[in-house]
Amino acid sequence: MKKILTVIRKEYLERVRAKSFLIGTLLGPALMSMFIVLPVLLADKGGDVERTVGVIDPSGLYFDSLIEVLVDRGDDNVSLKLIESPSGSTDDALATLKESILDETIHSGILISPDFLDSGRATFYNTSVSALVMRDEVLRPALNRVLREDRFAAAQVPDTLYSYLDARTVWSSIALTAEGEEQEQDEDVSIIMAIVLIMIIYLMVIMYGSHTLTAVIEEKSSRMVEVLLASISPGDLMLGKVMGIGLAGLTQFAIWSGAMFFMSQRGVSVGEFSLDTAFLTPVILINFIAFFLLGFFLYATLYAGIGAMCNTVQDSQQFHTPLLMGLVIPMMMLSLVMRAPDSTVAVVLSLVPLFSPVLMFMRVCVETPPMWQIALSWALMLVSIWLAARMAGKLFRMGILMYGASPTWATLFKVLRS
Amino acid sequence: MTRPTLDLPPVGETILALESVSKSYGNVKAARDVNLEIPRGSIYGFLGPNGAGKTTTIRIIMNIIMADGGSISLAGQPLTGAMRDSIGYLPEERGLYRKMKCLDQLTYLAELKGVPRSEAKKRSDQWLTRMGLAEWRDRKVDSLSKGMQQKIQFAATFISEPDLVILDEVFSGLDPLNIELLREMILEEKAKGTTILFSTHMLAEAEKICDAICLIEGGEIILNGPLDRVRADFPLQSVRVAWEGNPEPPKDLQGVLHREKSENSWRLTLAEGVNPRDLLPDLMAFGPLTLFSANRPSLSEIFLEAVARHRKGVQS
Repeated sequence: MKKILTVIRKEYLERVRAKSFLIGTLLGPALMSMFIVLPVLLADKGGDVERTVGVIDPSGLYFDSLIEVLVDRGDDNVSLKLIESPSGSTDDALATLKESILDETIHSGILISPDFLDSGRATFYNTSVSALVMRDEVLRPALNRVLREDRFAAAQVPDTLYSYLDARTVWSSIALTAEGEEQEQDEDVSIIMAIVLIMIIYLMVIMYGSHTLTAVIEEKSSRMVEVLLASISPGDLMLGKVMGIGLAGLTQFAIWSGAMFFMSQRGVSVGEFSLDTAFLTPVILINFIAFFLLGFFLYATLYAGIGAMCNTVQDSQQFHTPLLMGLVIPMMMLSLVMRAPDSTVAVVLSLVPLFSPVLMFMRVCVETPPMWQIALSWALMLVSIWLAARMAGKLFRMGILMYGASPTWATLFKVLRS
Repeated sequence: MTRPTLDLPPVGETILALESVSKSYGNVKAARDVNLEIPRGSIYGFLGPNGAGKTTTIRIIMNIIMADGGSISLAGQPLTGAMRDSIGYLPEERGLYRKMKCLDQLTYLAELKGVPRSEAKKRSDQWLTRMGLAEWRDRKVDSLSKGMQQKIQFAATFISEPDLVILDEVFSGLDPLNIELLREMILEEKAKGTTILFSTHMLAEAEKICDAICLIEGGEIILNGPLDRVRADFPLQSVRVAWEGNPEPPKDLQGVLHREKSENSWRLTLAEGVNPRDLLPDLMAFGPLTLFSANRPSLSEIFLEAVARHRKGVQS
């Protein structure tokens, strides 16, 4: 036991004292906040540049109303330019419009039909598909409103009646927690926070998991391992390594969580996004730590076993990639699970131990699944860790003194079966 | 947890005993029925060509690989994992953590042998000084020359003050000066009562330092015992002779098995029971002698002869 502690201490200090640890600890949150802030900022601004849309309005009735509506809607990145021809001919105006679009003095153009009030017809001129986004998100709703308002006016509906008829439903969402509390819910923040936490689990498990791989390979390639095995059993050596490295990961994790908590206490807001501790309920927090630890130990033991079989990092690539898939596949299925967290597919996938750290945790974040499912996934992961440790222990004992030819899947299975 | 104290036998009595230890890898028998008794306080040469089964046997002693059969006892008790702390081991495949400081490295390895941390640090400092590496204390290993690294590895083997030390090809790759330094240290440790199992394929080195030897070939021990007794069993002798003008000696010299030219002299291997003195008149008759010396058989001669006898024995 004391020897395991000695190994843990060495592996831990070696990592925590490394410059890369300090840099990673400082840079990590910066990168992560970029993940959060950038999309928010981009979504806010719509990623838009100022666009000029040419408008041909032969009846002269709608141009001013359209400007008013745009201002009212807050679509200030679109400005309108009335296109007229000296002759007053619509065809001439259209020719000018097309020319201006092609020489890029304006972005796109609309021709509002003279009988717009009756037909509701408008023609959109553009050069690219991307303009259609603006048509649908900005011009169409604005012009719809112009049409609606004008028709109400034409039908001589009084303003009071108009605003009565034009009403929209007003929503607020309350999430009910198990304790029967109510809390105001902000979907966007929840989902962004969930994704950030999952990214942390994902990156940390990959990073520190593969640390174990390189640490074991380094010990082999520096021919250190036989000296060590004369003092400590392979199982204890592996355990000490995995725990020491895991502890270093946990330290970084704790620093980040602390910083995040502190920041959210002070209230940090970027654009419409504000860091919200309300999201970090005890259930989510406990699962966050649990899935990080379980995920780390599962992957790290597998990595350690593989490392023991390989002589160089290159050797390990062929085994490394399939293992990495265990983390990448659930990341790709994230949106599937997010949309229907209680579907059979989502439930089954999230119980697969290799996927649980990402998928089950996502489910915990978006819609707390039944307690038994969380407990089951913890139990399944613990069993897998136990199995992985036994398997890795075997690979370690057999592989650690294997030098020479690079291992193949066949040798791997042979060792496991022996 | 301190290491279990062993009830050490008196000097000269068996400290490590191997009984019928065997190990195969597929069809290859790396160790067959190895029996060994190593007396306490001796330097025991574990000799044989590369691939003879030396490292396999040592790894079995260190519990790094499992034997297929047989038993091993240390100081009269069956050898267990915990008792490994009483054994120092310098493997042939040895390394150091390249990015670790010398002092930390020694301290870590001592701690893994069960030495408490503060004591481990103190001893590391002492060993660095003893090895003339005191100023390298806080330097990383990869700034050290290969020879210096070997000295650190050597120190790491002895730092836990083990009762038994296994050295596998300890001199390989060292310059003569450092070989001399380490040889002196091995003798110093022996004087303190440490038993040393000295494994090597360089027989000349073993001859200079060992009290007793065993020869292993093809996984089998073909010869073992104190060096004097082994020599007595092989009265095989050779003489070194040279004549003025360095002529080739006649082929039909009585009692000579074969002749071998070495630089400015000839080495004549004598048939069994032939006394070198009996040869002298014939040699003097051949020409004016400038050199005549009778030699005890070297270990390599004994080894070759033992292998030959063993093979004959196996065949008949």
